[in-house]
Amino acid sequence: MSDRAGVSTASDSSDGEPVNGGISRRAALSATAAGLTIPTSGCIRQIRSAINRDGVDPLSLTITTLPADGDRESIRLAREIAAALEAAGIDTAIEMRSNEEFLRSVLLNHDFDVYVGRHPGDPDPDFLYETLHSTYADESGWQNPFGFTNLLVDERLEEQRAAEGDERADAVESVLEALALEQPFVPICRPIEHRLARADRFDGWTDGHLSTRTGYLGLDTQREGSAEQLRTVYTDARPSQNLNPLNAEYRDRGTITDLLYDPLAADVFDAGAEGDLEPWLAEEWTFDGGTLAVELRPELTFHDGEELTADDVVFTYEFLADTARGDGSGAAPSPRYRGRVAAVEAVTRVDDTALEFEMATGEDAAERALTVPILPEHVWEGRSGEATVRGVRIAQGTTEALTTDNVPAVGSGPFQFADRTDREHLTLERFGDHVTLREDVDLPEPTVDELRVQIDPRSTSAIQLVEDDDADVTSTPLESYVVDDIDVEETDDLTLLESPTWSFYHLGFNTRKAPFGNPRFRQVVAELIDEAWLAEEVFHGYAEPIATPVTEEWTPDELAWDDGDPATAFLGADGEVDVDAAREAFEDAGFRYDGDGNLRVRHY
Amino acid sequence: MLLQVLTQLVVVVALMVGVSIALFVGRYRLRATRTEWRGRIRAAAPITAVLAIVLLFNSVARQVVPDLSWMIGWNLTWAIYDIEGQFILWLQDQATPWLTAYFSFIYIYGYVFLLVFPVVAYFALSNTRPLRQLLAAYTLNYTLGLVLYTLVIAYGPRNMMPELVEALLYDTYPQYQHLTRQVNRNTNVFPSLHTSLAVTVSVLAFRTRDVYPKWNVVAGFLGLSVAISTMYLGIHWAIDVVAGIALAWISVELAGILVGRWSVGEWVSDRVASLRNR
Repeated sequence: MSDRAGVSTASDSSDGEPVNGGISRRAALSATAAGLTIPTSGCIRQIRSAINRDGVDPLSLTITTLPADGDRESIRLAREIAAALEAAGIDTAIEMRSNEEFLRSVLLNHDFDVYVGRHPGDPDPDFLYETLHSTYADESGWQNPFGFTNLLVDERLEEQRAAEGDERADAVESVLEALALEQPFVPICRPIEHRLARADRFDGWTDGHLSTRTGYLGLDTQREGSAEQLRTVYTDARPSQNLNPLNAEYRDRGTITDLLYDPLAADVFDAGAEGDLEPWLAEEWTFDGGTLAVELRPELTFHDGEELTADDVVFTYEFLADTARGDGSGAAPSPRYRGRVAAVEAVTRVDDTALEFEMATGEDAAERALTVPILPEHVWEGRSGEATVRGVRIAQGTTEALTTDNVPAVGSGPFQFADRTDREHLTLERFGDHVTLREDVDLPEPTVDELRVQIDPRSTSAIQLVEDDDADVTSTPLESYVVDDIDVEETDDLTLLESPTWSFYHLGFNTRKAPFGNPRFRQVVAELIDEAWLAEEVFHGYAEPIATPVTEEWTPDELAWDDGDPATAFLGADGEVDVDAAREAFEDAGFRYDGDGNLRVRHY
Repeated sequence: MLLQVLTQLVVVVALMVGVSIALFVGRYRLRATRTEWRGRIRAAAPITAVLAIVLLFNSVARQVVPDLSWMIGWNLTWAIYDIEGQFILWLQDQATPWLTAYFSFIYIYGYVFLLVFPVVAYFALSNTRPLRQLLAAYTLNYTLGLVLYTLVIAYGPRNMMPELVEALLYDTYPQYQHLTRQVNRNTNVFPSLHTSLAVTVSVLAFRTRDVYPKWNVVAGFLGLSVAISTMYLGIHWAIDVVAGIALAWISVELAGILVGRWSVGEWVSDRVASLRNR
């Protein structure tokens, strides 16, 4: 009460009277001591009140993304989004980083405002658990890079994990509904992937999805000599530099490491992305009341001839959960496979080939846990120490397991490491003892002696290699702008493969920073992104706009893309932002604009 | 693929050099060279050795430079784009198939020819100073260029605006990608080393215009063409080219000072003479 009175008198006095005018210091002190409101103290309080307010400044943000050499579509999306944000009065810059530097700053260091890039996605919506659960907000890796924390979403993610069958579909739907409101990241589109392959050298290109291991297995050789080598072209040099399946910066979808390492169960998907989880190293499994009993195939071996037993499986799950193996001051979980491993409460070895998994989830999510790569204990047990670089302090929890390039890789996969040259090639050779080669195992097998991954940085030169019969397939999807120029009609030698994918483009917010922690702000940004127009413009129509990050099978009707974004409709038309509508939306969300049309926000 | 492109490069440049020797150097100078070549090689040997060492070091250093640059983390792409993004777009608007063919030819063949021919032309002179200055300037270009590449991360226009700035060279002639990726990293665009080396040749050609008047004109034209080609093809920003020209000028000036000051040949002969006199 007295405060308010003081302020009003102060403003009266400041019109004419000099501050601290004729009142003696002692009088002033005694007056305040007596609790009286006098003009002087009120005036100072007003100044204090004006000065001590933190600035509400024009918002400027940086979009972190990849250059055209890394991902042509990402930088194009980033520039279009930057233009839309600029139109809405947000000063926007773009920072391009190389493939591994981009992932390092987004996934490991969380050093970004917003980013635009491709998420590996997953056929099963359970990947959202690791992507968004708040307990992972402080970890490094694909587990919650956004720092998103919402207890209601956590609860729904957990329900989805525990549920089975129809109940699970409902639980997934409620997760997706919450995400459509919260927008921790804005799903943009799902590309339609194109690859060029030589039909005269191999047949069966559509039996396996070429972003997964089975795309390179079970190919029928068509010509004499084609069984000697399968020549793939990669536009990304990272497989020639690092083969560590746990490393987040050097892996996108991990296709190459999936050829080197085997899981207990593998996603066997065809080029149409149709398929299922199949037993791989496991002969079979049964799920009963939270316990997953797994029986391994007999006499498994790693590439180096060592036996692969239940001990290696137990080691793998414990190691992925804590690569420091209890040695560090805290757990150092793997930046990949986090959610799948977290579904496992305990693994026990029953005998050499039998295991029991105590699961924290329902059957559907429990089976996903079987897809992690099985690591040889004798190679990885020595990698639990902290990585050391002389004279440099390394972040806590950075174990050698996460930083090693793992060359040569020793796994049990269908191919084993043979040779590599940095930025030139990676050559793998067939692993003769692989399980798929057994007569009683009905799985696609390696049919070629050697698999060469040729590094070639651009789609156009990769296409030329295939056309000139210097390569058999462009393993990384072609950039969409070249697809229309490919003419395979005139010859039967080549085939253009088109396949859907579960990976998707998105804009991610660093919700640790203001104002990106505010869901209302994120919603308005989502409304500034014209997904359908971007799919047409940036991807030349070879992408589906999406409002939710799961595959079509799991998309509820309310969130299916049907002539406009069902969750956050675009404020404008044909990629052009309606500036007045955008301003109004930000103002309705509680933000303000200055006289020059700049959005002003509070910085902390 | 790489071998094929390389062979083509060697054949074309050899032809161009052959024709140029006939046009610019002339029979008289070649005759003199036949008798004096030993002495000239001796004079140019020290700086040639230094250049060779720098080039060797460069090829090794380029493997680690990108890693170092990311650790330093001085990313200038956005700043450059913010200042001059529109210029490259305007330049690319002028594209015609003929211009694209011309500038692609200049970027690959014209450039290599421009660097190789003056070595031959200056070797054909009795005065070895231009040759030594040329080699010293090359050395400085590579050395200073490498330092800047280490400090600065910058992506070229084609990486920033792939839909507007067509990567004309790599889309029209994808085979060249195999060649250029051997020597260039995509984060090393500031400054344009193509421009700086080409302009170095042009500046030295201007300074030796009394000896090679016709070459001065050709080198000037080619140097300008190389500078424009890097921007036209969407590989460099205008700022990279300006920095390249500045680097060229600095290298030539420094080379002039260094070559004048320390003559290893004289130093050795002085020593030999003083030993004999003893």
